Amino acid sequence: MSTNKKQKGDFNPLLRIFVYAVLAIFTFLTIYPLFWLVMSSFKTTNEFLRNPMGWPIEPTLNNYPTAWVRAQFSTLFTNSLFFTIVSTLAVIFLSLMAGFGFAKIKSKATPLLHGSFIIGILLTIESVMIPLFLFINLIGLYNTRTGVLIPYIGMGLPMGIYLCTEFIRSIPDSVVESARIDGASYAKIFLSIVVPMAKPVAVTLAILNVAGVWNEFMLVNMLVSSDALRTLPVGILKFSGPLSSRYGLQFASLTIGMIPIVIFYLFFRKEITKGVSAGAVKG
Amino acid sequence: MKKAVYWTEERRAYLLLVLPALVIYWAVIAAPTVFSLVLSATNYNGGPLFSASRPFDFIGFGNYTRMIQDKFFWISLKNNMYIVLISVFGQIPLGFMFAYVLHRKLVKFDDFFQTIVYLPSIISTIVVGRLWQLFFSAYGPFTEFMQRFDPTWQNKLLIDPKIAIIPVLFVILWMYTGTYLIIFLANLQKIDPALIEAARIDGATEWQVLIKIILPALSGVIVTSSILAISGSLRSFGLLFALTGGNPARRTSVLALYMYDTAFLHSPRYGMANAISVVMVVLSLILIIIVNTIEKKFGGSED
Repeated sequence: MSTNKKQKGDFNPLLRIFVYAVLAIFTFLTIYPLFWLVMSSFKTTNEFLRNPMGWPIEPTLNNYPTAWVRAQFSTLFTNSLFFTIVSTLAVIFLSLMAGFGFAKIKSKATPLLHGSFIIGILLTIESVMIPLFLFINLIGLYNTRTGVLIPYIGMGLPMGIYLCTEFIRSIPDSVVESARIDGASYAKIFLSIVVPMAKPVAVTLAILNVAGVWNEFMLVNMLVSSDALRTLPVGILKFSGPLSSRYGLQFASLTIGMIPIVIFYLFFRKEITKGVSAGAVKG
Repeated sequence: MKKAVYWTEERRAYLLLVLPALVIYWAVIAAPTVFSLVLSATNYNGGPLFSASRPFDFIGFGNYTRMIQDKFFWISLKNNMYIVLISVFGQIPLGFMFAYVLHRKLVKFDDFFQTIVYLPSIISTIVVGRLWQLFFSAYGPFTEFMQRFDPTWQNKLLIDPKIAIIPVLFVILWMYTGTYLIIFLANLQKIDPALIEAARIDGATEWQVLIKIILPALSGVIVTSSILAISGSLRSFGLLFALTGGNPARRTSVLALYMYDTAFLHSPRYGMANAISVVMVVLSLILIIIVNTIEKKFGGSED
């Protein structure tokens, strides 16, 4: 133990101070702006202009109810929840289905079809946004819930199918084969064997997808024009955009937008980092 | 008879399992890609695509030549490259350093630091963009901080076209270093700890462990991450949209934003926007080929 300590000491002490300094700077640069944001949300616009950095002298809670009503946060939250939950469930279910097909039923088409999904991991949706916009218009789904959900599901499938295929491949073939011999249909095998076993990969996928869709801005911004279909990022930008000078309300709306995902992160920290690293191996 | 044999239960099941995902995915990725290839050769500027009076004419490579003659295309491409450079020379080394010291437990509070460094990348790009725009604005803390040193300091960060990309790059560094930290940490955990312990017992210093064991083991991941940085830069849209909107004078535009502005900023120029889309898809496909080649070469050491 003592030798171990001595050896750790040979990690240059200057270097160690340097590392601590960089970490400290990074920590400060993360916590301070977020803290400043929340603190400013308790100031009136007038106070913010007089005192942009200091502690609120006359703290007020009024920004929150006003911002909540004017930015229509109930609608924004409802829509964000709807798109996030529905697309996540669809991505998980469709990925498990296709993953099961790719992993356990032999077909000459698999390399080509599975490969087309793998390409999608690096082929970003941003690079086709205008053609996608024109396509959604063409099929008459502009400004509809379906017109947002389909791209969200399609966007989540490459990673989903990559992870699910890998996972289901690790289930021994004999499990499926013996169920087949017992006369079980593929549907039954899928629902009563594969789905229950796939819980870990489903959790990883759910977390990746929730974080991705909850924060997604580009697609909803482009594919939706009515207030009733807007999600949090789009609504917040519209409300607190650069032309707005109601600082107090801006800060409150940004805080409202930030809090849920930060809480989600603090709760599922371990799973999120696991999901990110699982996803990053290939993509 | 032959047909009956062909549609075995296996084949039917395969089709039913794979088809739903395939249809949705191809509708979202493949259909628009084909779409963009065709429309990029036209002067389509809006209107119903399949009507009796065709709303466009084929103009060959006209959109592409117009694109490469447009200075904003090159400004956007250059900014995409700046973003790649800040990733390769900023996020990746920092992320690697953080991952290394956290994994080897060379600092205390490793859990806390990991949580903090990754925190920004979980927040919506819109909130991050607005937050930093306010932070760097004339009313923000940054101005006040600088004026403590030099009361005459004028905040031109977001106004001066020459330097406006610097705050953008800073925010990108701030936001995504955590992602690389997580990637490197996960791959460090795959290195057999016994290997490192044995080296330490043989008298290797921490520095030698880093150079002789860890860096070689992670070389594949470092190369792949650098290429991923390019794909990440093609992805950047929301953050810039909220932080600068591509301004001042469109000097902080990136390819995705350039495509969006081409389609929506003035009168629609969908043909040209589709040409930009084709360029971005081709860039992505080149990246995919490079990644695959590298993964084969490094023998999947990151798996």
